[in-house]
Amino acid sequence: MPQPIISLEGIHKYYGEVEPRLHVLKGIHLDVTQGEFVSIMGTSGSGKSTLLNLLGCLDVPTEGSYLLGGKDVSQQSDDELSRIRNEDIGFIFQSFQLIPQLTVLENVQVPLLYGESSIREKEEHCRSILDSVGLSHRLSHRPSQLSGGECQRVAIARSLVNDPLILLADEPTGNLDSKTGQEVLELMDSLHGEGRTIIMITHDQEVALRAQRQVRIHDGLVIEETS
Amino acid sequence: MISRKKKELLRMGLQSLLGYPMRTVLTMLGVVFGVGSVIAMLALGAGAEKELLQEIGRLGIQNIIINSVEPEQPENNSSSSSSRRGWINYYGLKFKDHRQIVETIPGIERVLPVHLSKKKAWNGSRWIESTLFAVEPDYFEVFGLEIASGRALSPQDEEDLARVCVVRSGLLQELGIYEDPVGYVLTIEDQKFTIVGVLSEDRFQGYAQKALVADARSSEIYVPYQTVLKRQGTRSFSGSAGSWEATDVELNQIVVEVEDLDQVILTSRTIENLLSRNHPEKDYEMIVPLEVLAQRRKTQQVFNIALVAIASISLLVGGIGIANIMLATVTERTREIGVRRALGAQKRHIIAQFLTETTTISILGGVLGIFLGFALVQILVIFTGWTAVITPISILVALTISVAVGITSGIYPARRAAALDPISALRHQ
Ligand SMILES: Nc1ncnc2c1ncn2[C@@H]1O[C@H](COP(=O)(O)OP(=O)(O)OP(=O)(O)O)[C@@H](O)[C@H]1O
Ligand SMILES: [Mg+2]
Repeated sequence: MPQPIISLEGIHKYYGEVEPRLHVLKGIHLDVTQGEFVSIMGTSGSGKSTLLNLLGCLDVPTEGSYLLGGKDVSQQSDDELSRIRNEDIGFIFQSFQLIPQLTVLENVQVPLLYGESSIREKEEHCRSILDSVGLSHRLSHRPSQLSGGECQRVAIARSLVNDPLILLADEPTGNLDSKTGQEVLELMDSLHGEGRTIIMITHDQEVALRAQRQVRIHDGLVIEETS
Repeated sequence: MISRKKKELLRMGLQSLLGYPMRTVLTMLGVVFGVGSVIAMLALGAGAEKELLQEIGRLGIQNIIINSVEPEQPENNSSSSSSRRGWINYYGLKFKDHRQIVETIPGIERVLPVHLSKKKAWNGSRWIESTLFAVEPDYFEVFGLEIASGRALSPQDEEDLARVCVVRSGLLQELGIYEDPVGYVLTIEDQKFTIVGVLSEDRFQGYAQKALVADARSSEIYVPYQTVLKRQGTRSFSGSAGSWEATDVELNQIVVEVEDLDQVILTSRTIENLLSRNHPEKDYEMIVPLEVLAQRRKTQQVFNIALVAIASISLLVGGIGIANIMLATVTERTREIGVRRALGAQKRHIIAQFLTETTTISILGGVLGIFLGFALVQILVIFTGWTAVITPISILVALTISVAVGITSGIYPARRAAALDPISALRHQ
């Protein structure tokens, strides 16, 4: 049994400072191993995004431990969490979250700004990633000139640029029609095929089934897993 | 390596500015006008100071100038006023004063006596009311009066009691002398004087004009001191049919040149003591260019500070403008900030990004403002004739202020941006 890349132990998340605080996650246990493709489902408000934000180190749990790549990241400083997001995590958002005034290439380079390696020496790397998502002919376009599917592919390219440990996707096809959604999912499939670890939130049963493992969250608890 | 990283961050910051060119330019305007007016005000201040320095410097800062002044006449002046001897108006500096200064005041380079008299100068049938300056040859050097053509008066002229004179070019025009004036003969009262030199005009301005007792009509004629004293004496008559009045002023001016600049003020006090003993009526005035310079300079500096302070208000407004627009920008770009934070930007990166933007705006604005300042100064100089000097220091001051404005106006918006919670920033619409 290989060491899990993600290991959540008794994770609780409360929102608010004053009682009654909102108890959203009520003791989550979850292990994810290297190379797994996990989908997370659940009703609206069940805490899926909350969980994903914790996994992405955008937030810290109120209680419990989170080991990422064997390292405890549940109580780190803001700067340290930023560094972990930069190096170990790739985000794919429902609404793409590209920076409008930057070109496609520049958007993909943004994570490099905040890391060790320089943009110049990674220029080729960025171009080849964009090539692999099929956008090598759109490098100097701005997001407003692209279709939704293309935007999401730019976002996927951006999530890969620092070669992260895990990819986190919050309803990546939520803003896309079913055809372009399919294309994006195929891209995720192929990333999984390359050995990437992916955790994806979705509302769509069919989409969820593309993952090897489905996790269902209900009322702040993991209630069902199928593999 | 670290500096390359900084360069990349800088470039990224600038890209945002290029992304909103119109807003960037509008934001800049406040600083452009602020810096422009600061530059212009500093230039005007420096110009005024330069003018002052030149004007008073003309009098020679090592000189002390004493002029005779006619004392105020009491209402009932016909009887026993001591300044009047019969019908002669007798006042002012005396030969005795000159002699005592020469003999008792230490540390003096030269003491020059000057006697003035009003005379009609004739060229054929044209005439002009002129002032005859009886001066020693050194007079020209002490006041730095330059000879445009011909020569100055010489010691030989003094010895010979020569009837020669040095004039100002304005006088030549008034008398209609257009050919080469050197060698030309003027009739002054009933005597013929040969013009030997013409002065250049640039010294007769403003304050210097007053102190040199020159008038605006440039009708001064300089003649050897001894010639006047020996041939004419110091008494002069004026008046019209029936009622005559005589004035006797032995010396209209005494110019003292002090050896050591540090001793000028002290020497002036000593002379003042001496003169006040000789002249209880105070029928003289003392002008110490050095003292006047110091006073006027002080006034000028206060004025300069006020000017710059006023100009700085527009800079302040410019800074507030930047801060204001940046705050709006932070709100507008909340999602971008959230994205950058999610992708690994630390708080300091966000702060650096916004400070880069505000500083760039203000430096660019500062540079444009310097150009605007140059233009303003040109325009002012053309339309007002004032002197203005743009000093390197003022440019440095303007740039420094721009950077400071950029940083201070950026710091609050930048900190607000950095303090945003990444998750809610990402959700921001
Ligand atoms: N920052 C917050 N402060 C307070 N309450 C919050 C905050 N974020 C989320 N919540 C609440 O926590 C609960 C879980 O929210 P979460 O966004 O994780 O749900 P979700 O499962 O992602 O729902 P959806 O499917 O609609 O995206 C909701 O009731 C939400 O209102
Ligand atoms: Mg959600």
